[in-house]
Amino acid sequence: MADERRSFPFLTVFIVGTACAYAFYRIHHALTPFVLAAAFAYVLNPILVRLEARGLRRGHLVAGGYLIAAALGAVAYSGLRSVLTDEAEMLQAKAPSYMRAIQKAATTQQVELAKRLPLPQSVTEKALEGAVGGTLEKLQELPSHLFALIPLLAHALLVPFIGFFFLLDGPSGVDSLIQSCPSRLVEQAIHLLSEVDKALGNYVRGLLIVVAVIFTISFAGLVALGVDNALIIAAISGLSSVVPYFGLVMGIVVGGSMAWYQFGTPAAFLKVAALFLGIRGVEETLVQPMIARHSLHMHAMTNLLVLILGGEMFGFLGLVFAVPAAGVLKALINVTWSWYASERGFASVDGDGTEIPYT
Amino acid sequence: MSALKSIKRWFIDPQFSRKKHFLRSLEIFKDLRDRELGYLVQSLHSRTYREGEVVFVEGDIGRALFILEDGGVELTREGSRAPLYALKPGDFFGEMALLESLPRSATATATVKSHMHLLYKSKLDALLNSEPRIGVTIMSHLARLLSARLRRVNSDPKFIPAKNG
Repeated sequence: MADERRSFPFLTVFIVGTACAYAFYRIHHALTPFVLAAAFAYVLNPILVRLEARGLRRGHLVAGGYLIAAALGAVAYSGLRSVLTDEAEMLQAKAPSYMRAIQKAATTQQVELAKRLPLPQSVTEKALEGAVGGTLEKLQELPSHLFALIPLLAHALLVPFIGFFFLLDGPSGVDSLIQSCPSRLVEQAIHLLSEVDKALGNYVRGLLIVVAVIFTISFAGLVALGVDNALIIAAISGLSSVVPYFGLVMGIVVGGSMAWYQFGTPAAFLKVAALFLGIRGVEETLVQPMIARHSLHMHAMTNLLVLILGGEMFGFLGLVFAVPAAGVLKALINVTWSWYASERGFASVDGDGTEIPYT
Repeated sequence: MSALKSIKRWFIDPQFSRKKHFLRSLEIFKDLRDRELGYLVQSLHSRTYREGEVVFVEGDIGRALFILEDGGVELTREGSRAPLYALKPGDFFGEMALLESLPRSATATATVKSHMHLLYKSKLDALLNSEPRIGVTIMSHLARLLSARLRRVNSDPKFIPAKNG
């Protein structure tokens, strides 16, 4: 049997893995809808799994689920249409006054600063005009930045379409992978898949709970404070919670600014800021302990580092996927290390207490 | 009534029902309820091995229980020409991997084209958390098996457990 017990070529696998990761980086724009569709299917899969356990056909469940989702979407749209229209109209109507208020505030501050700075008037005016003018120009460019997000919106149709096929295939894809895997590596392959699934699944499920909690509480809180566009602000804050700490910042900045403008006092801004800090506190003390087992157990500095790297390499989607990708990488390293250690014979093995006689 | 049956058949996955029926026939899972067998089926991975294909090698770290649905498997040990045990459909092997990740004590080879189901340790751990009754049923059966083997070793020190993968 000695010939069968060849050691695993770790170096070759590492080189191939690195080459694949680099290739993914080079063509990640083309792969974006597929990655999003895989994430979409991954999030929905547990629902199908629960229903499949009753013996129902997966294909029927997926098709039925899509039809039900379409029907529910239509009903929800017709129900929420008036609310959405009101919010959009309110935003549209107030947008020019928001811009005027910003311009007025900028001009006032410009004059005040020019008076207070101990420099010749012409120099300060020129410098401030450059700074304020530049900021206002950037604000005017905002619509073009928003247009840059349109390709992402195009994925809104493509992702459910590709996700349909991912959902349809389900575990058969994993079984095909296991079937094509060399028999001696089957147990290791399942070990790897299982660890990755555990890391990713826990994170995604925990994240969905956090997003839902932040959206619900912030919507209720903003309505209670009487802030306009509560639904939009709550949605922005909830959805941006997929990027750690970003939901809190967006809630305070967007919600606080809206409230300041609406009520005309800094106290309104502070109330909204207190609301979002309170939500963060609730999340930390009540929600996180409940979903602690869903965490990836990564250090805060590691989180920050992977967020910066993800944002730098893959843009906005990099920010969203940075933490779960780091969790997957961590699982891969753990599994590879335990595998390498067992192959090389220096892994510690279970079996304490074997010296106790059998009675 | 027949129309109702036809509709039910249209919704029910025949492969899934076949797997559940097979698992129910095994001693280790016979106490499980229908829904629990459904969850168990979803925790299993299936694979077909060719004739002569090695399932695992003596000394490899074990991480899964193998359930032989169809075909045949032979267990051999290094230095021994004669096979330790020949497994037939419905037998399971490598069960100690569900308790501890230790090196396999024998090599398993498919003697004919064989279809097997793998229950991986972490899947069983997940079942223990989400569906404790399934995990407890399997663990209790393994404990009884282990106890029976220890008693046999006690009464016959020359006895070497063969079916432990």
